[in-house]
This record gives sequence, C-alpha cells and structure tokens, in this order.
Amino acid sequence: MSRTTAIAVRELSKTYKDVRALDNVTLDLEPDRIYGLLGRNGAGKTTLMSILTGQNYADQGTAEIFGHAPFEHDPTLSRICFIRESQKYPDDFKVHQAFKSAALFFENWNEELAQELVEAFELPTKRRIKKLSRGQLSAVGVIIGMASRADITFFDEPYLGLDAVARQIFYDRLVEDFAECPRTIVLSSHLIDEVANLLEHVIVIDKGRIVIDSDAEQLRGTAVTVTGDAAKVQEFIGSAPVIHRDALGALSSVTIRAKLDESQREQAKLMGLDLSPVSLQQLVVRSALSSVTEQGIDERTEARK
Amino acid sequence: MNRIIKVARMQLINKATFIGIPLMILGASFLFTLSIWWLVRRNGGDGELYGGGAQAPMWYFLALGIQALTVTFPFSMAMSISRRTFYLGTVALFSVCALILSVFYYLMGLLEVATGGWGTGGQFFALRWIADNSAPVQILFYFVLMVLLFMLGFLVATIYMRWRTTGMAVFFISLGLVVLGIIALFTFNDLWEQFWSWALTWSAAGVTLWGGLTALLMAGGSYLTLRKATA
Repeated sequence: MSRTTAIAVRELSKTYKDVRALDNVTLDLEPDRIYGLLGRNGAGKTTLMSILTGQNYADQGTAEIFGHAPFEHDPTLSRICFIRESQKYPDDFKVHQAFKSAALFFENWNEELAQELVEAFELPTKRRIKKLSRGQLSAVGVIIGMASRADITFFDEPYLGLDAVARQIFYDRLVEDFAECPRTIVLSSHLIDEVANLLEHVIVIDKGRIVIDSDAEQLRGTAVTVTGDAAKVQEFIGSAPVIHRDALGALSSVTIRAKLDESQREQAKLMGLDLSPVSLQQLVVRSALSSVTEQGIDERTEARK
Repeated sequence: MNRIIKVARMQLINKATFIGIPLMILGASFLFTLSIWWLVRRNGGDGELYGGGAQAPMWYFLALGIQALTVTFPFSMAMSISRRTFYLGTVALFSVCALILSVFYYLMGLLEVATGGWGTGGQFFALRWIADNSAPVQILFYFVLMVLLFMLGFLVATIYMRWRTTGMAVFFISLGLVVLGIIALFTFNDLWEQFWSWALTWSAAGVTLWGGLTALLMAGGSYLTLRKATA
C-alpha cells in the first residue's frame, strides 16, 4: 500500500456496562473508496463510527484518521463528517440554519449541491427541524453529509423514513458526487441488498466483532448455493465449508463458501445440480447467524434446520 | 482560534437565543416595574421604591447555560468540533454578551439616577447597595452574577451529558447533603445570628470577588467534565 491509510483501527474494544459493543476490532480503510459497514441493530456500527469521529472514546486500542487520533483534535476532526441516525439539532433551528452552520465548519461545503439536494428531497428549509417527519430528518443528515464533502464521510443508516424514491435519489446522487469528488465514504446499513451495488468494500460487524472484511467483488464470488438431489449435493460439495443448509424431502439446497472454477461448474451441470449466486444480504445474514452458532448459543436451532 | 469564533457564530445563528430573549425579558420586567411604580405614586404612596426586575434576564442565563449544552453540544459534535473548541467558543460568546449587558445595566443605572428614578424615584438598575460603588465594581458585579448563573447551568448540564441520570442523582443528593450539613452545623452551634450579621456586612465588591472565584471553579469543573462527555 503506497497511499496513506484513511482509517487505521487497532485492537479497538469498548464495553458499555455489561455489553461488549466492540471486541478487538482491527481494520484498515483506504482513501477514496465506498465502504459498507453492515450488521444487525446493536452490532456495534454506531459505536465504531462514534469512536472514529472522536464523538466517543475506546476502552482499549487505537483508532487513527490519516495517521492521527481524532479525539479532541480539531485539524483531524475538520476532515470528518458524521451525522448520527438519531442526530440532535438545536431546538430552535430551522433546516436552513443547520445548513448555514455546516457551511461554517466544513471547508469543502458545496452550497450548490446542498440546494440541489433540498429540491430533490423536497425539503421545507424554512421549517423548524423539530417539526420535520422522520424521513425529512434523515434527508437533513444526508444533505449535510453529502454537501460537506469531507475527506471521510460517515452515513449512519441514512435512509430511515425515506420513501423508495428518496432512497434511490440518495444512492444515485452519492455515486454521481463520488465520481466528481472522490473521498472515503462509510455507509452503515442493515438494508444490505439496497446498498450492495454502491459498495466497493464490505465490512460486516456482529456482536462487536468483524466477521467479514473484504472487497465487494471478491465477496460476491466467495459463496454459492447448490440445489438438487440431497445425495448428489453432498457428493458435489465434499468438504467445502457450509454456511447454510435447507432441505425439502429428497431435495436440498446448500450454501457453501467456495470459489468454483469452470470445470466444477460443468460437473455440477452434469450431476443435475443448480448453482445460484448468493446475494450480499444472504451472505451477511448467514455469516452473522453462523457466528452465533460458533459461539454455541444457537446450536440446536441451527441443527434442526 | 478560527474555529472558536465559528462556534460563537454558530450559537448566534439564531439571534433570539443570546440577544433577543434576554432583552425582551429585561424590557418587559422594566416596563412592568415602571407601571407599578407609577400606580403606587398616583395613589399617593411615598417612601423608597425598589424593583428586583433587573435580575430577571439573569435567571434566563441559568436556562441558557443548560440549553447551550444539552441542545447545541450534540449538534456541535456532528459539526466535527472538538469539545474544547465548543467550550471555549460558547463561554467566550456568553462572556461577551454578559459584559455588554453589564455595561448596559451600568449606563441605565446612571440614566435612572439622572432622571430621578424615571420620574418616580424608584430604583431598578441603580440599587443603592450596588450603585454606591465605582463604575468598574458595578459592571463587574453584574458580569460576575450573570456568568455565575450561566456557569451553574452549564456545569449541571455537563454533568448530565457525561453521567446522565445517575450523575444528576449523585450531584443533587450530594448537594442536598452538604446544604443540610451546613444548616445542621449552624443550628447546633447557634451560629445563625452571627451569620446574618456577618452577611449584612457584605459589600458588592466582596460578593463580586467571591462570586468570580466560584464561577471560575465551576468553569474549570464543567470543562473537565465536558472533556469526556458524549453526545
């Protein structure tokens, strides 16, 4: 890696009372890429982002942004933008006042882009933020995040309450603006299929631990679902690691972690087996579930399947 | 430095909060007091007339201290401002506002004396206990009082932001215990008479000095508390 790392996390841990929110997290994020931070609610996504943006602090380990700890360090903080999913705004603020404030602090603030987005989201800028609907509130966060054009921008479940049209606008504009002005974007989400196409790199966090940290393209090819006669499926998959198994009478459908080459695909065809790609969402859900079983919490339910 | 000024500008985006509302409170309480005095004089009332309305905006500063923190602090985090910068910008802005208002009080006091208590002989701005002092002491007295109340609100709010409900419970229970302890001490040792006669000897300058020190202590306490507060 010749370029500097945008975000470097080493053995980061954070505990809230009895919950281990982050458990020994180590990550490297390169600049100018779009990252997906995926995981269930309560998996530790927001905690991780809060620490990376200096809004919270870790119990153990280090987090560095462009080589510097962000906590209480203005020069580093000024390169980051992170609007929380549950962001609070001053009670008496109107929408345009929040943007005016953001324009003060984010040096790369693009007012034109902000205005375009206001129109696209049909946001009433003269209204008090307190009086906005959930979707409009999300739109305020999305606009600040996009228009700030910070070197590292975090979007924390940015689509909450947004309708399908507005969500599509967000995804389209994000890709457009990223092309025009590349920067590091971290998109936290649990609606994985919706954002799958945007992501260049996928990080999956579950119960505070990183379970997947992989290039999105690579990840898509790492698993496959084999469907057909149960005995033949078993013969075909051999000793490949099984992520998920479904059975219906003599038929079975098994998802395995394997990269198949041409001859293997040909063989599957000859054996009368169906091969289907695994969506990112399925892969993440299965990985999360299997990490549960590994810990032995849910072994019996999994075995019954 | 630049970002500290930006914090002050952010706090001023809604001008009503720091400037409009205090002036409105002061204006309203002043007009109410004048009307009452006028009614009193009209009905042949004589003697000295005091009005406590000048302190009305000061109590608003207590609320402002709380509000500046609980509401604006989480937003300032989203604006990628460090806690230190947020603290310095907010306190600096408040100090400037308090200083301007203190000078205004002093000038209004002069005007009040010159106009014979707005023609009614009342004392609203120029309470004799304060007005008998030199100009700097008068201005500082008002200033310290305002900062003291703002800092009190600020300190309580930082404790809340850092330790939430537990922090509030511990703080107020400890405060209650300390106050109760002092009252008990005075009562058991029959010190009350001594205390009140001592309290009567307080001068505006003395109150300013001790109030200023208390405000500084609270400022330090709230800064240290804020350093690890989370939104």
